[in-house]
Amino acid sequence: MRHDRLVLTLLWREVLAGLRSMRRRDLAWIALGGGALLTYAVADIVIALRGAAAALRQAQMLWTLGLPVALLCLGGLAGSALAGLCLSRAYAPFLTALPLSSGERRRMAVVAAFVLAIPLALVVAAAVGLGCAVIAKPLAPAWGFGAAILFGIGFALAAGWRLRRDYESTNSEAAALVVETGARRPLLHAFDRSTPAWLASWAWGLPAGYVRPSWRLIGASILLGLAASLAAAASFIHASAVPAAMAALTGGLAVFMLSARFHPLGSPVLRTAPLGFARAWLRLVRLPLQLSVAFFLLPAGAAMAAEPSAWAMPLASGFWLLALNGAYAVFAAYFMTAPFVAALSFLSAIAYTSYESLEYGRTVLIGFAALVLFLWHRAQQRYRHG
Amino acid sequence: MASSSDLADILAVRGLVAGYGGRPVASGIGMTLKPGDILGLLGANGSGKSTLLKAITGQIRLEGGSVTIDGVDLAGAPERAKVGFGLAIDPPDLPAALTGRQYLQLVASIRGCVEDDWPGVDIAGRLGLRRWIERPIAEYSLGTRAKIAIAAALLGAPPLLIFDESLNGLDPLAAFEVKRIIRALALSGRHAAIISTHVVEAVPGLCTRAVLLADGRIARDWDARQLAEANRTPGAFEADVMRALEAQAAEA
Repeated sequence: MRHDRLVLTLLWREVLAGLRSMRRRDLAWIALGGGALLTYAVADIVIALRGAAAALRQAQMLWTLGLPVALLCLGGLAGSALAGLCLSRAYAPFLTALPLSSGERRRMAVVAAFVLAIPLALVVAAAVGLGCAVIAKPLAPAWGFGAAILFGIGFALAAGWRLRRDYESTNSEAAALVVETGARRPLLHAFDRSTPAWLASWAWGLPAGYVRPSWRLIGASILLGLAASLAAAASFIHASAVPAAMAALTGGLAVFMLSARFHPLGSPVLRTAPLGFARAWLRLVRLPLQLSVAFFLLPAGAAMAAEPSAWAMPLASGFWLLALNGAYAVFAAYFMTAPFVAALSFLSAIAYTSYESLEYGRTVLIGFAALVLFLWHRAQQRYRHG
Repeated sequence: MASSSDLADILAVRGLVAGYGGRPVASGIGMTLKPGDILGLLGANGSGKSTLLKAITGQIRLEGGSVTIDGVDLAGAPERAKVGFGLAIDPPDLPAALTGRQYLQLVASIRGCVEDDWPGVDIAGRLGLRRWIERPIAEYSLGTRAKIAIAAALLGAPPLLIFDESLNGLDPLAAFEVKRIIRALALSGRHAAIISTHVVEAVPGLCTRAVLLADGRIARDWDARQLAEANRTPGAFEADVMRALEAQAAEA
């Protein structure tokens, strides 16, 4: 089929255009700085793996359950993200005039998604195979090959599920935003009126400010509510503040990460208006932060009630929640049109900082803070100058 | 075009150089606009019109030169400078989820005015926006999106009005109304406007000045007298612009 590689061609052109639009100085910084950081990280991981080689070789749960589940999840996430990307290009508005049926468009997306999966699977195979070789695990190449297969299964299941859905009818701008505006006021009327008005509705893509119930929204609410209730119950049963305080922190952060959206920062509507970056950013942070704090209060209150003498723990959780929410908001403002990438980068940075802080202590946090400040500066520069 | 700036200038551009990824697209641009001026910005595709307007509205970094809007330097105090202009946003860049009214409320809240604070006229009524204003912008046609963008640009009566091919998608009646409104605002002596357009024949009747951009530079300019003369002979201005474009193409 002569159109099969069209999505791949489009994506390749986008990458080239993105590279061409960057300054050579910035490209050099990314290549040299990123390369140096990656080399350091690989060397550090190799040293850590060698240090823990004996324990890792004997960890049966890791090899029989942990690693396979992690690889399946990784494949699933990658498959879902890449399938979404390829579908969005296959159904791009500028292609609507071409004589391509919905089936042909979906096939183009399938071809592109699975071609892109090949190098990813090779990277996974190489990483796991080399990791096994470093810790002297027998049959390291076989483990690498198996890892690629598990990753591929996760990828195929997630991508296949996403590619089967009718993209055209559910994702066109008009279909997604059509709403019956009646006499009733939008749900966010009272919460989204401060300057700039309706910014949260815009950021969340709520048609005319109305919240429409969806399975995703209901599922997330049930899951978060259940987690908060279980953690609170655990705290009361054991008379310990720890479970509820931890649930308050992680759940509050999850609520913030799921609800924070910053794409309006890239729009000329805000960038050409007499509105500074910090003010626009703070306004976009406000409602997700309110949601996050609202979630935090229930388990944090349970933690206080379960162990009143440990009042400092939920309080500290609250401060950490504010700090982490603020840091994520900076990541999300930097990756303003890609919240998934923002979340992945933020969680990777947190994980790496935690890991390094085991070795070098809390001074590593200064490095994390420097990264956050750098991203803030770059996001601000982009808001001001494109 | 460049002239010494004073406080009466609504827009003063000096030695402007702007582009993308370090490559200049517009360079050596100088111009001033005084109250009452309506500047027609002409040029072939890729001549640098949109880049110039992006630089003037602070969307891209100036590689050189300066932009002063209503006496405020854009680089030095971007937020204060942006109070001085209203830009009709490109239709695809409008917040599609919001209704027309919500979009006007958003812009009005930033500008510190109410959602119908237009300079002397009811823009929504004049442009036939009333029956669409409670619907999400996603449902609007290209022309209706252009109308809401123009209505938002005029909110708070900023001194400088900027329209980047915004008039192209309008129906004849709306285009006629917008031109009447722009003329009336310019005649009030409190506003100036820049209209980037490919509708060359509309320029002599609407604008008091015009410039032709070619390869990112000002290739030709017309003052009010020249435009008035051109307007007396049907097709004269269009022929003049075509000659200039052909001459530029031959040089290239």
